[in-house]
Amino acid sequence: MNEYLKQVNSLPFYLIVGGVLLFILIMCVWFLVKSYRAGIAIGMDKKVMRRAIMSSATFSILPGVSILLGVIALSGSLGVPLSWLRLSVVGALQYELNVAEIAATSMGLSGLKVSEMSIAAFTTIALVMTAGILSGITCCIFGLKKYLTRFQKKEKKAEGNRPGFGAYATIAMFIGLCSAYIGSYVGTWTAFKNHLPLMVAGVSALTMAVFEYLIVKKKMEWLENFSVAVSMIVGMTAAVLISL
Amino acid sequence: MEKEKFLEEFNRQQHRLGRIMLIAAAVLLLAVPFLLGGIYGALPDLKSFLNGFIKVGMVYIPVGIVEFLVYAPMLGNGGSYLTFLTGNVTNLKIPCAMNARDIARTEVGTVENEIISTLSVASSSIVTMLVIFAGVLLLVPLTPVLENPVLTPAFDTVVPALFGALGLKYFRKSMKITAIPLISMTLLCVLVPGAISQTSILLIPAGGMALVIGYVLWKKNKL
Repeated sequence: MNEYLKQVNSLPFYLIVGGVLLFILIMCVWFLVKSYRAGIAIGMDKKVMRRAIMSSATFSILPGVSILLGVIALSGSLGVPLSWLRLSVVGALQYELNVAEIAATSMGLSGLKVSEMSIAAFTTIALVMTAGILSGITCCIFGLKKYLTRFQKKEKKAEGNRPGFGAYATIAMFIGLCSAYIGSYVGTWTAFKNHLPLMVAGVSALTMAVFEYLIVKKKMEWLENFSVAVSMIVGMTAAVLISL
Repeated sequence: MEKEKFLEEFNRQQHRLGRIMLIAAAVLLLAVPFLLGGIYGALPDLKSFLNGFIKVGMVYIPVGIVEFLVYAPMLGNGGSYLTFLTGNVTNLKIPCAMNARDIARTEVGTVENEIISTLSVASSSIVTMLVIFAGVLLLVPLTPVLENPVLTPAFDTVVPALFGALGLKYFRKSMKITAIPLISMTLLCVLVPGAISQTSILLIPAGGMALVIGYVLWKKNKL
């Protein structure tokens, strides 16, 4: 086995990640119990609270499986423990991969490729991935209390207004990201005659188009949970078949 | 009046616990690369870290702030602390919390709503973590298969696979925002092949261009 992969899939790393996730799991249970007890204290119907818990739990199983597919997709280049950690907390598949790729190229690698990775590059990439996504957490630590108090006061005044630009800003940002990457795949094909990235992106996009058709036209909204992960796996399978 | 007092006290407790939890979690998460680096004698390289962090930060710090501003009011106090810690905000936690509120028929700003949101996000996070844990247990014996050289092209093209799927999803949301960034980035990479290896830098003008176009269209009410 590749030395790098052996190191990033080692038992101590599993134990470190397991410890961090156990802490976060305990905190979730703590919040759950505290809120449930508070509900009982103010006379909320236990049945209603249990229904909310059960529906949220069942609602989360399918997305959980789709996140697991993301762990599989990431594990080939970053190992299982880091992929497990990153996709269990804070992040999401699209963030993790993109940031890992940016970090890898910033270090002078040609991309997130196992053949070029070393344990030193890995620890730096892992740190960039962690630090880069802490803005939401930082906002919560320093600003949530003030922001929500102010927001609740302003809420009544804002009724009837159209959606703010915030909702579109994230979409625009992602459109920019995707444009840069797709443009680079076209360039890789025309300049270096390497059509693999563009072909994979194309197959992945086609699969996504099928999902979008089923979700939007056939009202199969439950597929939404799987669309990105399955499209990626189909694209990656195409890469293997093209390279045979 | 009693309920209002209860809500105030409940919120105060949630903020205190939430802050402590997030600070502890952030420290633990940041410690992971150092712990692994310590074991193998390969600590993160500060210069490379800063170089990567600046590029990542330019894109993702604004995204994180926007997500916080947009989604925190939907999630409430406890729900926000847990959601921003456990991630998968738009694809899981928001729809989950909305669904639970519909079931419980609670109104925004009430103590009941706070409690239902927190219960929903907490149970969703626990289930997701357990599903992933079960999957990882199954994944460990499969690791040698996943490392087979035949599969190398699959894992080397994981980023194109992601952006193919995401590209279609996001481009469809607004072709008006998409047209100029997509055409200009494609032309740039075709005409200046040296730019291809600088994708992490291209993200900045591409994202900026899309944001400006999006803002102008939004201002003119054309989105």
